[in-house]
Amino acid sequence: MIGKQLSRWTMAWFAAALAFLLAALGLAVLGGAGPGLWSSGPGLAVLHLFALGWLCQMMLGSLIQFTPVLAARPLALARLALPALLACSLGTLMLAGGFLALDGWEPGFALLAAAPLPLALAFGLALAMVGATLLAVRGWRQDAGRAVLAALLALAALWVSGAGMALALSGSDTGMVLLPEGMPLHVLLGVGGWLTLSAIGVSYQLFPMFLLAPDRGSRLRDAGFACALLALALVLAGLAALLLGGGTARLLPLAVLASVAAVALYLAEARRMWQARRRPQPELNMQWSRAALGFLGLSALLGGPALWHGGAWAEAAVFAALVGWLSTLTLAQMVKIASFLTWIQVFSPLIGRRPVPMVHELTDARAAGRWLALWVAAAAGGTAALLAGFAPGFRLAALGLLLAALGLCREVVLIRRLRHLAADRRPALLPPIILPPSPRRPDHDHPRTAGA
Amino acid sequence: MTIPEPLELDVRTPLARGEEPFSAIMAAVDSLLPGQPLRLITPFRPVPLFGVMANRGFGASDRLLQGGAWEVTFTPVVGAGPEAGLTPGSAAGAALWPDPARTLDLTGLMPPEPMVRILETLEAMAAGEVLFALLDREPMFLFPELAMRHHEWAGNFAADGASYRLMVRRGDGGGRG
Repeated sequence: MIGKQLSRWTMAWFAAALAFLLAALGLAVLGGAGPGLWSSGPGLAVLHLFALGWLCQMMLGSLIQFTPVLAARPLALARLALPALLACSLGTLMLAGGFLALDGWEPGFALLAAAPLPLALAFGLALAMVGATLLAVRGWRQDAGRAVLAALLALAALWVSGAGMALALSGSDTGMVLLPEGMPLHVLLGVGGWLTLSAIGVSYQLFPMFLLAPDRGSRLRDAGFACALLALALVLAGLAALLLGGGTARLLPLAVLASVAAVALYLAEARRMWQARRRPQPELNMQWSRAALGFLGLSALLGGPALWHGGAWAEAAVFAALVGWLSTLTLAQMVKIASFLTWIQVFSPLIGRRPVPMVHELTDARAAGRWLALWVAAAAGGTAALLAGFAPGFRLAALGLLLAALGLCREVVLIRRLRHLAADRRPALLPPIILPPSPRRPDHDHPRTAGA
Repeated sequence: MTIPEPLELDVRTPLARGEEPFSAIMAAVDSLLPGQPLRLITPFRPVPLFGVMANRGFGASDRLLQGGAWEVTFTPVVGAGPEAGLTPGSAAGAALWPDPARTLDLTGLMPPEPMVRILETLEAMAAGEVLFALLDREPMFLFPELAMRHHEWAGNFAADGASYRLMVRRGDGGGRG
């Protein structure tokens, strides 16, 4: 039971994800991605370094940390967390390298064909840990648990569609039926089904906690989840239709419509939680989560035009979702979660024995707020630049995102080192920044009478 | 109903490496199926564990193996487990504890403030005294800390699910280390 609420590898997942974030943004600044470039080799590499390396790894690491809290029991097969992380990082690197084959880099074809294997291993291990833990406590009876379980189903389908397309691009006949009609399904599964649905599930638990709002469901929530399930079912049906040689012409608009309805209902639910809060002045993480929710609404609004017109509309919709919605939410909560976990690791053994700081004292809220503001401004700028097809504007936005990400990385390191506390309030021995801490010993080991 | 095969855990190797086996043992206990015994192999007779496991509703039988190691089988005692509805990890005998010496209303506080208040209050109490606390949610990060300090606890959600009720009995010695 000791330490069962702290996953040992959470910080390592976060660190790997942040490294991929910096790599993706660095390559975007150098011109690897931009308006109209998303189906080029470097464009796809940047996109997947971002979506898979940054967002997906961040989400998997968060779920591994969060699921035991949700399920009120230890994570099943927790020792698989490190192999899953290694496989996921390796698969992402292979996939990103593999996309360079599209621009004539010959060894890329083999990488593209092989990349789905480590990713299958990573997702399989994550499914085994998170899925088994939630199923064991019948997690589908809880709002958060059922959203995460549906998201895991989308993750499996995301892999099927992605692996099929990677094989087709590498020159194999397998998966050819998925090109190009499978692309919008793949995007909907990744951005909507997997990442957004799991973020929504986690938010059902975290938002009431951070806002001090009543932690209970509502009809709005049930209706939103029903729409999300319908959208997921339609996308899965579309994928099945394609694999069986059919088309998606009728299913895709319905899936987009159901997704937009689900987003609208979720935003109304988030507004309800916000208004029911008992904390008048929410902390930084919740204030910037509001900006993220704004981007979620924006990307849903762009969804219709993206479906009819494609091109710049689709690029802007996906960018607003990945960078504006999911990344802003993740970065804002990451600062909070890093300071909370660090506080628990360092100070919980000291409570009652010496004065301990408050959790928020571990963070420089003003500095973090400035970096988050830069991130949000650059995300808005990038969305606009994509809509306008203005490449220099996009590179400038990417530079802003890179600077904001670097600033937030620095802030997390400062939090882990307790640099915002005066030196005399820092314990001499701090846990490692990334690697797991060594296990703690119980305070005393003398015998106690049985049955006391 | 058939009794599941015991889960076996040998902690001699981690102990020889200087690692603390307690968390691995508790993780194994948490992963047991209903009714499943835990068979533990240790280099010495793990007396402190008997009390910990008795509180979680396990009886113990031990025997000395050839070579000096001990084999202890912890078997769940029917009817000794915590009442249905209590959070897993709750002490079995909580119904027999004395009336609370201290009561804390910790609703409306943001984590980890409830945990801080509970642990600070416990430090000022005498061994065996009971603290009652009312919370908004299950204090997930508190439970491991209570175990580390050898306090016992039992908790459950109120019938409407809107608040969580926690009883903690102050451990002996208080773990001041």
